[in-house]
This record gives sequence, C-alpha cells and structure tokens, in this order.
Amino acid sequence: MTGSQAAALEFGQAEERLRRLTTALTTRAAIAQTPKQVIWALNKAKLYRYVPVVPAEKRHRVPLLLVFALMNRPDILDLRPGHSFVEFMAGKGYDVYLLDWGRPGLEDRHLKFDDYTLEYMPRAIRKLKAISGSEEFSLLGWCIGAILTTSYAALRPRDGLRNLILLTAPLDFSNKEAITFARWIDPRYFDVEKILAAFGNMPAEMIEYGAKALKPVENYIGNYIRLWDNLDNPQIVEAWHAMHTWVTDNIPMAGATFRQLIVDLYQNNRLMQGTWKLRGERVDVGRIRASLLTVIAEGDHITPACQSESIHKKAGSRDKDLFRSPGGHIGIMAGSGASSQTWPRIDAWLGKRSA
Amino acid sequence: MGDKPKGNPSASDKPFDPLEAWRNMRDATLDAWSKAMVEAVNTEAYASATGAMLDASLSASAPFREALQKSMAQTLQMLNLPTRADFESLAERMTNLEMRLDDIDAKLDGLSGPSRTKAKPRKRKSKPR
Repeated sequence: MTGSQAAALEFGQAEERLRRLTTALTTRAAIAQTPKQVIWALNKAKLYRYVPVVPAEKRHRVPLLLVFALMNRPDILDLRPGHSFVEFMAGKGYDVYLLDWGRPGLEDRHLKFDDYTLEYMPRAIRKLKAISGSEEFSLLGWCIGAILTTSYAALRPRDGLRNLILLTAPLDFSNKEAITFARWIDPRYFDVEKILAAFGNMPAEMIEYGAKALKPVENYIGNYIRLWDNLDNPQIVEAWHAMHTWVTDNIPMAGATFRQLIVDLYQNNRLMQGTWKLRGERVDVGRIRASLLTVIAEGDHITPACQSESIHKKAGSRDKDLFRSPGGHIGIMAGSGASSQTWPRIDAWLGKRSA
Repeated sequence: MGDKPKGNPSASDKPFDPLEAWRNMRDATLDAWSKAMVEAVNTEAYASATGAMLDASLSASAPFREALQKSMAQTLQMLNLPTRADFESLAERMTNLEMRLDDIDAKLDGLSGPSRTKAKPRKRKSKPR
C-alpha cells in the first residue's frame, strides 16, 4: 500500500468515526420498538399490550404487568431489538403488559402515590384482566415502580396478584448513611416546599442532575470517553446510543408525589415503619400474599441493597426469593450482562409460578 | 439512571497501540478521581453547599417569577385568551370524564367480555398462608 492509499484509508476511517460520534451525540436512537397496542388510557397514563409472539396454547396463563419508575421513560424495558427485556419475556411465552405513566403536566401536580396506586393501577389491572381473560396476574416493579407495586400488593392482596417481582426497590430508608440521596434531602438542607412552590412539579432536569451527580466523573466524563474509545466498534456505539437516548429523556415528577417521596419515605421511612397511609388506608407490607422475588443490584449506587433487603423479611408472602445480580441500578436489566444473568433468572422464577 | 452498560473490545488480537500506556494512565486517573468524587458528594458539606445554592437561586428568582406569572395572566385575560389556570381546570374535567368513561367500560367488559379463567391452582405446601 502506498503512502497516499494509507492516508486515504486513514481519512475514510476517521470520517466514519466522526459520523458515528455525531450520530450518537445528536440524534435519538430507535428505542422501544417491540410491537404493542394501547388497550387503556387515563389522563397521561397508558396501558400497552405487547403483541404476543408465542401461540396462545403455549403461552403462560398468568399475564405479566410491568410498572416502571415515574421520572424516567419505561422504554428501558424495551431498549432495542435484540436487547429488550420485553422482547425476551414475550419470546418466553408471557403475555406482557406495560403501564406507562406518561409525562405529568402542571395540571397533574396534585397527583399523589395514592392516585397512582389506588386509582390508576386498579383501573389498568381491571382492563388487563378483561383483555387477558385471566383473574390472576404478575407484577414487576422497578425502582419507584417497586414502591407502587409493593403498595398495591399490600393494599389489595386479594385482587388476583399472584407474583410480585421487585427490582432495585427503594423501600427502606432507615440507613441514611448508606443512601446518598437521603443525605442530600435532609430537611436541614433541602426545602421541598420551596421547589414545588417554584415549579409545581419536580423538574426533569433537577432529577437528572441528582441521578448523575451521584457519580459525577463517570456520568459527565467517563461515559463520553467510553464512546470515544469504542468508535470503531459499531455494536458498542449502538448500545451506547440507545442508552444515551434513554438516559437523557427524563420526565418531571408530579409535585405531590415528589413531596411524599421526600417527606414520607426518604425523611420519615413511613412505608417500612408501617405508618404510611394512602387514601386513609395503612400500607402494611405484612399483608402481601403474592409470591415475592426481590432482585438486588450489587453495584447499585442509587438504591443500595439495604433499601431492598428488609421487604424480603417483612412481606407476608410465604413464597419468597431474593437474588443479587452483578451490575448497577439500570445495568442489571439493560446492561450487556442482563440477557445472560438477570432476565433468565426472572424467567426461571416466574415461569414456574405462571402456570 | 446514570448507570450504563460497559463494553470493551476483547484485549486479545489487538495490534500494537503506542497510545495504550497513555490511555491506561488516563483510565487510572479517572478511576481515582471518580472514587474521590463519589465520596465527596456523599458528605454533609456537599449536601449543605448544594442545598444553600438551590435555596439562594430559588429565593432570588421567586419575585421575578411571580411578577411574570401575574402579568402574563393579566395580559391573557385582557386579550380574552385562556390562562394556565383555565387549561388546568379543563384538564381536570377531562380526566374526570375519562374516569366516568372507564367506569362505563368496566361495566361493558363485565357484560360482554371474555369469561375470565383462573390459572391452574398452585400446589400448596402443607402450611396454610
């Protein structure tokens, strides 16, 4: 190869790298691509049913409802074709539903955990039962979604809930030393009322900053260096692009819900103390009867393990399992090892209990 | 939320890279810096400082925000245009209507929906729940 040919080759490769870099940083990746239908809607919330890929006679009888956090899009559960938890579970024969909370507007600032748990969820579940034809169902709650599903399971233990899966569940706020967020929102430093008076809802940008500031160097610098170092590898760039699209698509949290999260849970730990009330009903996790699987991320910096361990002891379920998965808060379900570690273990546990 | 999957190409079959030593040094520096920052943000001092900054910015902007909201509402009213409060009221009424529709839908599902089946009973162990 002559010098000019080598230079041309080098130039072509540099151009391709630049194109990949620009695409990854300035465009949105195609995420949440698994075919689905809206089967119910209320206000901003929507219930999706994923188009089954396994014939009805080979499907599990108990449908699975996924409930994600309130301040991020649930697209992380269906990140990209070939690397999607939804696609995986549908392929394993589950009838999969997703409750998407939508983006609250200012008009929704009065929405509380009470409304999500006792107004939206029962209605969505009623529709799920009507569509699936099954009186029983399984719930998977992730992050704040785990607070909602745990509360629902405790308040409506006889509503047909057969299996409850909690992923990186922030339920116990007693160990303030281990929870960085708890330190930040100490009432001496953090005035929740002042924020809500100014904005109505908790702004998405502030939530995003809070999540990223837990690991500032990794999130603001290391993440981009990782992309730069791997520009020659299209698979890694594609995965990075999809994750970046999801990470930067934050949504605000309804003001009244945020107040409950901070005051009732982070500051006063009312759920685990058994003093939390939703619409006047006490949330007693001892009343949970569904089979329970708690999944803890060993490297979770957002929800440390101590926040998820005590529910395993306090829940009233007789059938309980807990497993720890390597990875972080999101990585256990969307990282490169999720499809070989976390997903098969969830399937193995749930499959036996969905007949 | 800020947690990303990691993926590094296999170290085997890599051609000689003169910048590898520099990259290793960079990664080691970043790693040390990252650990130091994770510890720094998990301190009372950081919580106190960020809380004070947030408090100061909210206090400083509050009078302007209130004045802007007030003048905007007055302007919209003078122009016979709906204000934010009007939209919020409408949205609330829409949600109430949706709930009523959902109640009717539930009744219709009860009348004409598919017969629901209970999944096969689980094999219970000897102890009752």
